[in-house]
Amino acid sequence: MIFKRKLSNLELPHDKATTNVASVPIAPPSEVLLPMTMHSGSPAEPVVNVGDHVCIGQLIAREEGRNSSPVHATISGTVTAIEPYGNAKAIRIQSDGKMEVSPDVRPPEVHDLDSFLASVRESGIVGLGGAAFPVWAKLDAVRRGPVKTVLINGAECEPYLTGDNRTMVEHSDLIVKGIDLLKTYLKSEKFIIGIEKNKPEAIAHLTEVFSNDPAVEVLPLDCTYPQGAKQMLLYNATGKVVEAGQRLASLEVIIINVTSLAKVAKFMETGMPLVDRCVTVDGSAVKEPKNLVVPVGTSVGYILEQAGGLKEEAGKIVMGGPMMGHTVTDLKEPIVKATGGILAFNEKDAKVLEPTACIHCGRCVNACPMGLNPVAFSKAMEMEDDEARFELLTREQVKVCIECGACSYVCPAHRQLVKHNIDGKGFLRKYQAAK
Amino acid sequence: MNALISSPAPHIHSGASGQRIMLDVILALLPVSIASVILFGLNALWVLVSCILGAVVSEFLFNLIAKKKQTIGDLSAVVTGLLLGLNLSTNVPLWQCVIGSAFSIVVVKCLFGGLGHNFANPAITGRVFMLLAFSSVAGGAMPVMVDAVSSATPLEQIAAGVTELPSLLDMFLGIRGGAVGETCILALLLGYVYLVCRKVISWYVPAIFVGSVFVLFLAFTGDFTIALYEILGGGLFLGAIFMATDYVTTPLNNRGKMVFALGCGIITFVIRHFFSYPEGVSFSILFMNILSPLVETWTAKKPLGGVKR
Repeated sequence: MIFKRKLSNLELPHDKATTNVASVPIAPPSEVLLPMTMHSGSPAEPVVNVGDHVCIGQLIAREEGRNSSPVHATISGTVTAIEPYGNAKAIRIQSDGKMEVSPDVRPPEVHDLDSFLASVRESGIVGLGGAAFPVWAKLDAVRRGPVKTVLINGAECEPYLTGDNRTMVEHSDLIVKGIDLLKTYLKSEKFIIGIEKNKPEAIAHLTEVFSNDPAVEVLPLDCTYPQGAKQMLLYNATGKVVEAGQRLASLEVIIINVTSLAKVAKFMETGMPLVDRCVTVDGSAVKEPKNLVVPVGTSVGYILEQAGGLKEEAGKIVMGGPMMGHTVTDLKEPIVKATGGILAFNEKDAKVLEPTACIHCGRCVNACPMGLNPVAFSKAMEMEDDEARFELLTREQVKVCIECGACSYVCPAHRQLVKHNIDGKGFLRKYQAAK
Repeated sequence: MNALISSPAPHIHSGASGQRIMLDVILALLPVSIASVILFGLNALWVLVSCILGAVVSEFLFNLIAKKKQTIGDLSAVVTGLLLGLNLSTNVPLWQCVIGSAFSIVVVKCLFGGLGHNFANPAITGRVFMLLAFSSVAGGAMPVMVDAVSSATPLEQIAAGVTELPSLLDMFLGIRGGAVGETCILALLLGYVYLVCRKVISWYVPAIFVGSVFVLFLAFTGDFTIALYEILGGGLFLGAIFMATDYVTTPLNNRGKMVFALGCGIITFVIRHFFSYPEGVSFSILFMNILSPLVETWTAKKPLGGVKR
């Protein structure tokens, strides 16, 4: 393609202080809390009871309903509670200090596509980039049509976070194995690993690793946010766009996060389900930024403590990246499968800016990678008449919004534009359900 | 430990603010403001000061009377007052300056709901209002260093068929009759470069506006010199750089901004070339302000993975 439309030109400060910081495991926590909603589909269903003794890797909740994913014990110890958590439940495990691995953990027997997909399904691996869509459901696309191209997402466009970078630098062997698995069972022909150019070590390393494999292309991507979003990566890697009413799979493409792929390879090798992950601990209030390998379900407070604590009082703690992550107000809140980072900001950085009147500058329109008009959504949410609001939100297609936060980031009036978009989507759902 | 803040994403911000943007516009207007005082003497300063005071004080009083949150801190009233002042000549009595800027702020901006809600550019509408209300506003005064009998502006001279025009260099430096802030093209271009570098305005809006006026005059008159006089004369650069780029009253998206600028250029040309009125910039921008919502709708792009609006 000679003339390529540029989807985004928003350059964020990277602040990736931990790019070259190797990931290290933390001392096991004394307790974990494992929500049944660590993936994007229906909640998992507990299969253990209070008082049961469990070991690492043991199934404690089975998949239930649509696009669900099982949950496994991430430490060894006793189930002390099965308690309400949000709209679902969570399982609390008190450690016995032994970190004993379950005898159930052994490499799965895989010989064809069905057994491959079944074992991925058992692994509890979900999209680790943040979306938390079960990986088995993603790979399942191959049953409905060929998956010719696999885009491996190593863009990691959120500032601060470097977990995917560490995967690419430290575990390239697993990426090689993961790609081999997909070649064998999905019969995929082309693999493109998209990496933002702010990760030169990962680009150089993987380029070398795959230098003899013509099926694998390492694609350096511009550091324009949100480069790791589905449509951005797809367009920049293949020139294609998922049009309205289409699915990614109908283009014979799937996108998988690089760490998720490595976890699948690791599972096939060892049989250890998704029980831990790399979490970047950073932010202006953190004493020393680190990459920690943490059991899923560990509390935010314990992780911050293990990272060396804070150098000043935190005003805000964010789980995930600074663009799309959510604030944590209770340090007991556990990290989940898709948590890539814990960011502690000092009080100055935590300050919420006071919104002022929109001056119609159009910066949000230019920043929106999806070509939307966030001003209109904001206007719609201020409307009193539901009918008119519904009409405006529908015409301006709020559903296309990927909630990347670019509009809010650039807004000189400090308006919470993404929040309006998210509220707008919620309104549409309710309005349509009421009709 | 204090309570942790809970807030929606994102948790970092570009640092841009409306106030900073207004400050940038004021800074970009500084060269031409200084030039106006050098060219037209202290009288120019009094015009600018009374317009700024008129704008700020009237906004302050409006908010006070209407029991609204005080907004003069956002500096937009300063910008409006300064822009209006730069569009007036030293012939205008100061009390008229005050009334004009109060009209800009109260009628065009505040009554429509304040900053961001006005459909037309306050400074331009204020000037057009004054043009109709006070005879002193039409035309311009002569710079202090010019020893001239007539105070007609070059565009009026062209319209009247006068052939002894100021040199092109004088036109560029601002040594010719006109409003205090419209004559010194050099100073206006400094402001243009500053605003583009600060990413406050898009470089192409003034370029398309001025460029289209130039091309149309060249095409219709076939006279390169006349075309040059047409773009250097009148308030074209002032309007194109500082008023056709006003956020509130122009389309949001880039394509819309281009169409807006082109529309301004065409209308300016039509007014100047076919009508008896020698100026056209204010009217063209005002007209396009009104069309702006339509232009915005026409030029909206299809969302990625969405349907055409």
